[in-house]
Amino acid sequence: MRKLYIDRMLYNVGKFVLRVFALSVLVFTISRLAPGDPLYAYYGERVEKMSVAQQEQARERLGLNEPLFTQYARWMQGACRGDFGISYQYKTDVKEVIAARIGNTLILGGLGFLLIFVLALWLGLFCAWREDRAADRIICKIGTVTSCVPEFWLSLLLLLVFAVWLDWLPGSGAYSVGKEGDAADRAAHLVLPLAVVVLGHLWYYAFQVRNRLLEEVRADYVLLARMKGLRGKQVLYRHCLRGALPSYLSMMAVALPHILGGTYVVETVFSYPGIGTLAYESARYQDYNLLMVVSLLTGTAVIFCNMLAGMISGRIDPRMRIHGLPGGGEVRG
Amino acid sequence: MMKKKFPALSLLILTAIVIFCFACEGLMAMDPRYMDLAYCNEAPGKEFFFGTDTMGRDIFSMICHGGRISLTIGFLATLLSTILAVFAGSVSGCAPARIDGVLMALTELFLSVPGLLLTVFLQAVFGGANVYSLSVVIGLTGWMSMAKVVRTEVLQLRHTDYVLAAKCLGGGFFHVLFRHLAPNFFPSVLFMAVMNVRNAIIAESTLSFVGLGLPVEEVSWGSILSLSENALLSRSWWIILIPGAFLVGTLLCLTNLGNYMRGNANRRHSNLGCEKNHKKNMKQL
Repeated sequence: MRKLYIDRMLYNVGKFVLRVFALSVLVFTISRLAPGDPLYAYYGERVEKMSVAQQEQARERLGLNEPLFTQYARWMQGACRGDFGISYQYKTDVKEVIAARIGNTLILGGLGFLLIFVLALWLGLFCAWREDRAADRIICKIGTVTSCVPEFWLSLLLLLVFAVWLDWLPGSGAYSVGKEGDAADRAAHLVLPLAVVVLGHLWYYAFQVRNRLLEEVRADYVLLARMKGLRGKQVLYRHCLRGALPSYLSMMAVALPHILGGTYVVETVFSYPGIGTLAYESARYQDYNLLMVVSLLTGTAVIFCNMLAGMISGRIDPRMRIHGLPGGGEVRG
Repeated sequence: MMKKKFPALSLLILTAIVIFCFACEGLMAMDPRYMDLAYCNEAPGKEFFFGTDTMGRDIFSMICHGGRISLTIGFLATLLSTILAVFAGSVSGCAPARIDGVLMALTELFLSVPGLLLTVFLQAVFGGANVYSLSVVIGLTGWMSMAKVVRTEVLQLRHTDYVLAAKCLGGGFFHVLFRHLAPNFFPSVLFMAVMNVRNAIIAESTLSFVGLGLPVEEVSWGSILSLSENALLSRSWWIILIPGAFLVGTLLCLTNLGNYMRGNANRRHSNLGCEKNHKKNMKQL
C-alpha cells in the first residue's frame, strides 16, 4: 500500500520535471530565435563601443556561435546553480529584479484569488437557488457583460471614475512616495487593481459553479432527500454543494496561476510594480534573460497547479480515485 | 424543454457595426491619421461627432477605420486557429495512442505558457507588427483548447460504423475528415470559433494598448485606447468611453451569438422543488 503511494508520488514528480524541462527547452529556443543580440544581455551598452573583432571574440567566449543545443546545456548548468544571467535593462542579477517585485504580484494575485474563490462560490449558490427567477436572470446578464469587458478597459473606466472624476483613490503605483511602510496607503493603492482582477474573472467561475449546481440539483438523490423531509436549502448546501465541490476545487487549482499571473495587464495599466509590468517591459526592451525566467516561473506554476488539480479531484472524489489509492481499500476499480 | 431565443438584437447591432466599419469611406469626414493640432482634445460636438483625441485626430473616423482593422485581425486569427485546431485535433484523434499522447502533451505544453506571454514572444520573433503578423501571432496562440474539443469529438466518432465503412472503401484521411467527421463536430467548433473571434479582438486590443501590438500610428480599437494615459490626465472621457463602448458592444454581441450556437439547453426541471417548480410541473402534466 505504502509502496504504491510512493510509486505514484515518484511518477508525478517525474512527470512534473519532464514537463518543466520541455517548457524550458521551448522557451529557450524561442528566446534564442528571437531577434535582438544576446551580447547585450551580458555586456549592456558597452557592446556598442566594442570593435567588430572584440564582439566576435566575446561571442566566441560566451559560446554564442555554438549550436543551440550546447548553448542550452550551458544555460541549464547555470540555472541549476541558480544563475539565470543578468537583466540587460536593470543591469543586475535577474533573480534580484524578480525578488524585488514578486511580493507585490503575490499580494495582488493572492488577494484576488481568495476573493474570487469565496465570491464565485457564493454567487453560484445564490444563482442556483434562484434559478430562472428575476435575480438569477439579472445577475447572469450582468455577468455576461462583465466577462466581455477587456481588463484594460475596465481598468481605464475605474481610473476615470474613481481616480479622476471622484478623486477618491490613487491611480498608480503600489504606494505613495515616502510612504513605503504605510499599510493604509498600500491598501488604498490596491483597491482599484484588485477590483479589476476580481471583476474580470469572477463571473466565469461563478457561472461554472451555477451550472454545475444546476446539474447536481437534477439528480435523483435530491428527490430522495426532499422526500426524507429536508428543506430545499439544506439539500442544496449539504448535498448538492458537496457534489459540486470537487470539480470546483480542481477548477480553482487550475485557475490559481491564471489569476496570480493574469494580473499582467492590470499591473501595466496601474503601473503597479510587479511581475506583470516586468514581463511587458522585458518584452518591449528585448530583455530575454529576464523574460525567460518570468515565463518559466509562470509556466512552472501552471504545470504544478494543473497536476495539483488532478490530485485534488482524486482525493475528494472517490470516483476519480486510482484503484487502492489513497487510503481507500474499499474503492473498487 | 427550453429553446434558446435567437439573439436578433445582437446580430443586428453586430451587422450595423460591421457595415459601419467597412462601408465608411463615404461617411468618414476626415482622414483618421491626420493630426490636426489646432483641434486637440475637442469634446464631442457638431464638427467632431465623437470629439478628437490628444493628437488631434477625429475619433469618429478612427473608430470606423480602427474597427475595420480590429475585425479583420479577429477574423484572420480565428481562421488560422480554427484550421490548426481542426487539423491537430483530428490527427490526434485518429492517430494511434502513442502519437496522440505526444500531440496532446505538446498541446498541454502550449497551454501552460501564459497566452499573453507566448504572444509577446512570437511578436518579438516576427519583429515589426502589422495586421497580418499580428493575426498570425494571435492565431498561433489560440488553437489549443479548440484542438482538445475536436479531439474529444473525433475520438467518439472514429469507431462509428460509417467512418469504418468509409475507411474500408478506401477513403483517405482528408476524405473521412471532411465528409464524415467535420459535419459532426461542426456545431461545437462553430461555437468555439465565434468565441475565438472575440478572444482575438480582445488580444489585439490588449496588445496594442500596452504597446506590443500595432504602433500608435496604425489605428485600431486597441491603439486608440493606448493614448488613454494622456486622456486621463486631461479628463477627456470621450477618448476612453466611446471607442471602449464600440469594443465592448462588439464583444457582447459576439458572445450572445456564440452562446446561441452552443445548442439549445435541454434541461429537465429541478428536483429541488420550490413553489415555482411545482407550478411548472403541474403545467407540464
